[in-house]
Amino acid sequence: MKIKFRIRRYNPHDSKAPEPYYQAYTVDVTEGMTVLEALLKISEEQDSTLSFRKSCRSAICGSCAMTVNGFARLTCNLQVLPEHSKMGEMTIEPLANHRPVKDLVVDMTPFWNKMEKVSPFLMPTEKTAQNAVTAEDEEVIDQSQRCIMCACCNAECNSLEIDERFTAPAALAKAWRFVGDVREGHGVKRLARLSEEHGMWDCVRCIHCTQYCPKGVAPLKQIERLRSAAMKAGILDNPGAKHVEAMADSVEKFGRLDEAAMTFKTLGFLKSLGKIPLGIRMELHGKMPHPYIVPQIERIEEVREIYKEIEKTAALKEKKKE
Amino acid sequence: MVGAGLAGMRAAIEAARSGLDVAIVSKIYPVRSHSVAAQGGINAAMKATDSWEAHMFDTVKGSDYLGDQDAIEVMCRQAPSDILELEKMGAVFSRDSEGNIAQRPFGGAGYPRTCYLADRTGHGMLHVMYEQLLKHGVFIYDEWHVLKLVVEDGSARGLIAIELDTGKLHRLHSKSVIIATGGYGRVYRTTTNALSSTGDGMGLALDAGLALMDMEFVQFHPTVLARTGILMTEGARGEGGFLLNSKGERFMEKYAPKVKELASRDVVSRAEQTEIEEGRGVDGCVLLDLRHLGAEKIKSKLSQIRALAIDFAGVDPVTSPVPVKPGHHYSMGGIATDKDGRTAIPGLFTAGESACVSVHGANRLGGNSLLETIVFGRRAGTSASEYCKTTEAKPFPESALKDACHSVATILKREEGESIFAIKKGMNDAMEDFCGIFRNKDRLAKGYEKIKELRERYKKAALVDRSDYFNNELLHYLELGQMLDISECILLGAMNREESRGSHFRTDFPKRDDEKWLKHTLAFKENGEFRLDYRDVSVTKFKPEERKY
Repeated sequence: MKIKFRIRRYNPHDSKAPEPYYQAYTVDVTEGMTVLEALLKISEEQDSTLSFRKSCRSAICGSCAMTVNGFARLTCNLQVLPEHSKMGEMTIEPLANHRPVKDLVVDMTPFWNKMEKVSPFLMPTEKTAQNAVTAEDEEVIDQSQRCIMCACCNAECNSLEIDERFTAPAALAKAWRFVGDVREGHGVKRLARLSEEHGMWDCVRCIHCTQYCPKGVAPLKQIERLRSAAMKAGILDNPGAKHVEAMADSVEKFGRLDEAAMTFKTLGFLKSLGKIPLGIRMELHGKMPHPYIVPQIERIEEVREIYKEIEKTAALKEKKKE
Repeated sequence: MVGAGLAGMRAAIEAARSGLDVAIVSKIYPVRSHSVAAQGGINAAMKATDSWEAHMFDTVKGSDYLGDQDAIEVMCRQAPSDILELEKMGAVFSRDSEGNIAQRPFGGAGYPRTCYLADRTGHGMLHVMYEQLLKHGVFIYDEWHVLKLVVEDGSARGLIAIELDTGKLHRLHSKSVIIATGGYGRVYRTTTNALSSTGDGMGLALDAGLALMDMEFVQFHPTVLARTGILMTEGARGEGGFLLNSKGERFMEKYAPKVKELASRDVVSRAEQTEIEEGRGVDGCVLLDLRHLGAEKIKSKLSQIRALAIDFAGVDPVTSPVPVKPGHHYSMGGIATDKDGRTAIPGLFTAGESACVSVHGANRLGGNSLLETIVFGRRAGTSASEYCKTTEAKPFPESALKDACHSVATILKREEGESIFAIKKGMNDAMEDFCGIFRNKDRLAKGYEKIKELRERYKKAALVDRSDYFNNELLHYLELGQMLDISECILLGAMNREESRGSHFRTDFPKRDDEKWLKHTLAFKENGEFRLDYRDVSVTKFKPEERKY
């Protein structure tokens, strides 16, 4: 079946066409052909100037992630025919959230730098090195060690889009790989660093990373694991942890979120004052929650029962662990 | 370090640990290296009921007695401690119910001694090695492709590499160079190897005057997906999978009555090819049947295999058998080296699949290649460190960079010529059709003529992409040149070796001939032509005997 591919071309060093443009290629697609195979066919038979990365072609090396029909995908395990019939087009662009270098190749340097920032290697102490990894221990870090570093998660990350310094899901999932390892000796130190600005608490939990990960790493899940480990370790003096505590408090007290009070509790009084202009803008746009003072819901005791129940189960779990 | 797969990174880490200033050059970022795709596992005699001698015997027998026994002994003795070292670095292996490192049976092994992480052992190991590379502060020149190993007055001086991003050429001046660039799978049409497995280091070594050893020994893996060549791990049979022909028979009972599907790879691949050629195949394939293992086992121990079968063959192994056939997988041959990674040129070292120690001889056992990378990667790193500490840096020849620039410019400037892709296709077809599982004099001669012709055409090929920046076509041109040289070495070795041993099967000489051929083939490149020589095999503990499974 003949299928039209629209491919984003870009070569900033081409003096005749330094701006990005789209080029169409028609490919004779056979049953089972993947997007990567189609790209190879284009470069071999139609246009060898097309640049893209590729290597293992079996979804394990992480080279060939691109934006296909608007979403970050590995091109090597994505079949053309079903994708085309579902989306009605075949548009290939470089990964989002990364600077394009040429055609479908993006600059991965920031991605690797983020990895390096989380000290991505085991740092056991003499004592923790003796801990043997049981099957259950492995289970805890299993998802995080499935990562192939293809950058699909970072490409779809909403927080990274607005803050290029955000550690971002791939490196955070990698961080959990070590924090969650029974042999790791500096977990708490790691968690403290990861709790700083641009770290784990800057994730807005949009779930894109988990949705677009081709290997089931579920980065958001690993970020949540980091967060609860950090709070358990008593690393609470940061807006992220304070926000969680404020949320829990508010629900316990009123049975619902007291959003105005949450701002104060999360940021503290002085920093909250800085948010007044934002508050005014929100009010003008009708985005401010009303009423300003939150009344308690009826039958609040039922909510509190839930809290008690949660605490009981958590205590039981701890006991079991010991 | 040239090459950032398991062997390369392991060597770099060892050298960095000894206090050297180490840099690693790779045409792809380290975690992209093809070691990542190794699935099944890594062998080591870890249990009291197993022994390194037993591991050694299986390896020697698997090699059809062509493996050097002194080197095999080193590998099998050191295997357990190197595995434990990996664990210390952070690797996680699957565990048995008692909490020990679990081990599964693999082909050609008399004991279940293959350690694994589900069916993505290579991935687990490669990422740990990358972590350690960062920990030890090894400098990474990623997406730099090496153009030339610089040798002057008989010793290594460093190398010339092209930065793919910009097209700039650089000189890297060093006391020593270790080559660990992996295999040449892309010489064949159907291969499990990555698109980047183009044997670069072997080609560079030939040009530097080194010999490639035992190149005619090419491993065809018994279970690869037909259209794409994607690997279905031997672990699938290790976990109990069957091979069936079109009549539903477990045909391996005929060819290897004792161990059936778990005979060594050369034996199983030949059996499959025979079934297919004699009309008992299913659309050019046989069937890998895992259904009886049950959904739970398949999903936990072979989850990647299941995903690959679904994504690339449209078959779910839980409910249907997977059509598979033999396909190129591994090169037993490589740059001739000793058990410390040394080559004939002082300062040049090599390890991993690009090297030929030889521990695999005429046929490699599954689970021994990952082992080779970490044992001999480490040893090459140690040797290179010792060399660096006892040698003064010698000057880098002035002309080397200019010459390399000139030759790249010549390629880029060539106005008219054939496309490299037609030449590459010609090479793939010739190697697949004339130098596959079953070989004979006529087929090999045809292949040889074809490659000779392609080498001539290659010299006149021209590129469409003349730009400097991320020029994929230029990279593929350079790779193709190396692969044509390698193809010629494989064919020459195969034509000359008039016997059948391990993976090299001659229908016109179907018997092993120890008297004439218990020796290693060495291929040299001199003034653009190839010459063969031979070297004795080290036989220490086990005298050659008939090989039966």
